[in-house]
Amino acid sequence: MSSEQQPGVIVVDRGHPATRDGRGLVRGIGVVLRHLRDAFGPRLERPEQTSGVFTVQYPEERTPLPEASRNLPILLFDDDSGHELCTSCYQCERICPPQVIHITQARDPASGKAVPAIDEFILEYDACMSCGLCAEVCPFDAIKMDHAFELSTATRDPLTVDRVGLARPVSYYAQLAPQAWAEARDGAMKKLQGSRRRRTGTVGMTPARAAPAPADAPAAPIADAAPAGEPAGGEPVPASDAKAARLAAIRARNAAATDAPAPDAAPAPAGEPVGGEPMPAGDAKAARLAAIRARNAARQREGGDA
Amino acid sequence: MNRTIVISQILVIEQAPGWLVAALNHAIIAGVLLIGGAITMMLQVWVERRLIARMQDRLGPNRVGPEGILQSIADGIKMFTKEDIIPRAADRWVHLLAPIVALAPIAMMLAVLPWGRGLVAVDLEVGVLYIAAVSSISGVGLMMAGWGSRNTFALLGAMRSIAQLIAYEIPLIIALLGIVLLTGGMSLARMPELQAGIPLFGSSIPGAPDLGLGWFIFTPVGLLGGIIFFICALAEGERTPFDIPEADSEIVAGYMTEYSGMKFAVFYIAQYLLNFALAVLSAVVFLGGWQGPGVAWLADAGLGAAASLLSLLWLLLKAWGLFMLMVVIRAAVPRLRVDQLMSFAWKYLLPLALVNVASAALWVGLTEWSSIEWGNLLPVDGLAPWQRIGVAALVTAVINLGATRWVLRINRAPAAAPVVVPA
Repeated sequence: MSSEQQPGVIVVDRGHPATRDGRGLVRGIGVVLRHLRDAFGPRLERPEQTSGVFTVQYPEERTPLPEASRNLPILLFDDDSGHELCTSCYQCERICPPQVIHITQARDPASGKAVPAIDEFILEYDACMSCGLCAEVCPFDAIKMDHAFELSTATRDPLTVDRVGLARPVSYYAQLAPQAWAEARDGAMKKLQGSRRRRTGTVGMTPARAAPAPADAPAAPIADAAPAGEPAGGEPVPASDAKAARLAAIRARNAAATDAPAPDAAPAPAGEPVGGEPMPAGDAKAARLAAIRARNAARQREGGDA
Repeated sequence: MNRTIVISQILVIEQAPGWLVAALNHAIIAGVLLIGGAITMMLQVWVERRLIARMQDRLGPNRVGPEGILQSIADGIKMFTKEDIIPRAADRWVHLLAPIVALAPIAMMLAVLPWGRGLVAVDLEVGVLYIAAVSSISGVGLMMAGWGSRNTFALLGAMRSIAQLIAYEIPLIIALLGIVLLTGGMSLARMPELQAGIPLFGSSIPGAPDLGLGWFIFTPVGLLGGIIFFICALAEGERTPFDIPEADSEIVAGYMTEYSGMKFAVFYIAQYLLNFALAVLSAVVFLGGWQGPGVAWLADAGLGAAASLLSLLWLLLKAWGLFMLMVVIRAAVPRLRVDQLMSFAWKYLLPLALVNVASAALWVGLTEWSSIEWGNLLPVDGLAPWQRIGVAALVTAVINLGATRWVLRINRAPAAAPVVVPA
């Protein structure tokens, strides 16, 4: 063969002579039957295997996710103290391409000064694009990408997640991504120590300790059942109402900052909520929303004047 | 008929008018055939999906019912609940009638097929002619679907399917013609009866046991005819590699493009029923039908019902075997181009089928004609029937083999020039 080869001529060696007169059909059937036989044998798992069933029967069987797999962001808190790693630096809120992160910074109840902790942290899971930039940019290793992906719901509401819903203990993340956490742990914990020195009372402590733990999070040891750190002056409200109220408050504050009329979320007139007075659920909620909005607007104006 | 008497006894309607008994009789048999057809179609879909999946290193549907066997029922429920869409530009009535016109003739084919020893709904003297005539009606349904949909893809698919059906109907019928010559009649019910005995020699050797293996596929004429018939059956049933009319990667779904819900399901049922009917027909004509070891023995022992049951099992076994061969071919072979399809029908199958008819005629002459009929040219009278069959087999084998080689050689494409890469 090599003697016949001319420059510029490529002789293709198929490993078998040209298939004619139905021999290709016979060979094809042979291949197919080999696969049929092997499909009842061992599963296709090693790369050098060329046949065998590769189906993963999903809800019962799962392939392990790689450590760097990312789906939606979560907020970490320290297992022992319950302190959140987040310091309200707003880096994630700024970088978020679809702008689904909303943060309010905590203030010292006594002095009213800002402290490196969050008052509220709201993330709209339904609009999050899972880019992971928030976790990438976070200087405190406070926001990380979770592996959980089975988040289908029948309604939108559960996909607006607050500080409680986002909270996961550090041990949970360490188990998800042991290598990444091993690299980040020392720096993150050191920075948390620094933040804790400037926090007072329960500021910066995760309210998730009081709330039921997320189903997919490992059961964290509940050292101190600290009450949920509600915004100053707020009374304890049911979880769903609280969430709606917080979102409304943030929207209202933003609206006030731009001096535009507030979005028509609540029809009730603004007024101070009368503590303890029984009201119909809808009215109570509307009134609370309006109160929060008014207070926040006022605070914004004070801040602007000062 | 026997059956009529049995049914009238069961229903205690001896005093009922004869026409009522006959009508009931036919209604019951038609019901059994059609329900059996529907169940067969569901099983076919499941078997095909599971088998193909394994061949492609998958598992296939295995969730609904044990091993997914009820998947077709789930699919059927889905089809029932889907919206029935008729395009605004479509010809409403043609669009509506097309699936019915496509399915009805195929259901009618089931009537004349012999399902077992003594199990045939209608014993037509011209069964082969009936099958050929009725099966070509469904092409009208396909054209109605393509034309009535007012969709370019649908029209293209319909025209492709008509071209394919016409091209492959001819070798299909000529392949059947060879067997008609051999059996000397067009009755499908009689064909299995003529395929008793031992391979090739049938019942011609006195004293040989009746194994029920005297199938035509063991004769040279039947072998070539059977292969041609099966290939044509693939094309008629639009199975891969002849699924050009509904080539989903080229023309969406061909004539079925504008169909949804139950109308689509009717096309689907028609297709699988046609595949099964053609598999049964191949089995009846070439693979001995319900003949098989044990049937004659049971019948001789006086166990007529057991013999019928065994013969039904043999037929279903053969038909399902052929259907699985269709599935394997579907998994192994890619779709042909339209020009390859046409040249295969007209340049390979048609000449071979014609040669096969000549071989069949020669076979009949060598085995059945007397020396006088041969004009005293051949001294065939002195030979025993099995000797004459041996001579005929030898002669027809030489003719068919030579013809096959010749057809393959003259159609061989010139060797491709080596790939020259410009310097």
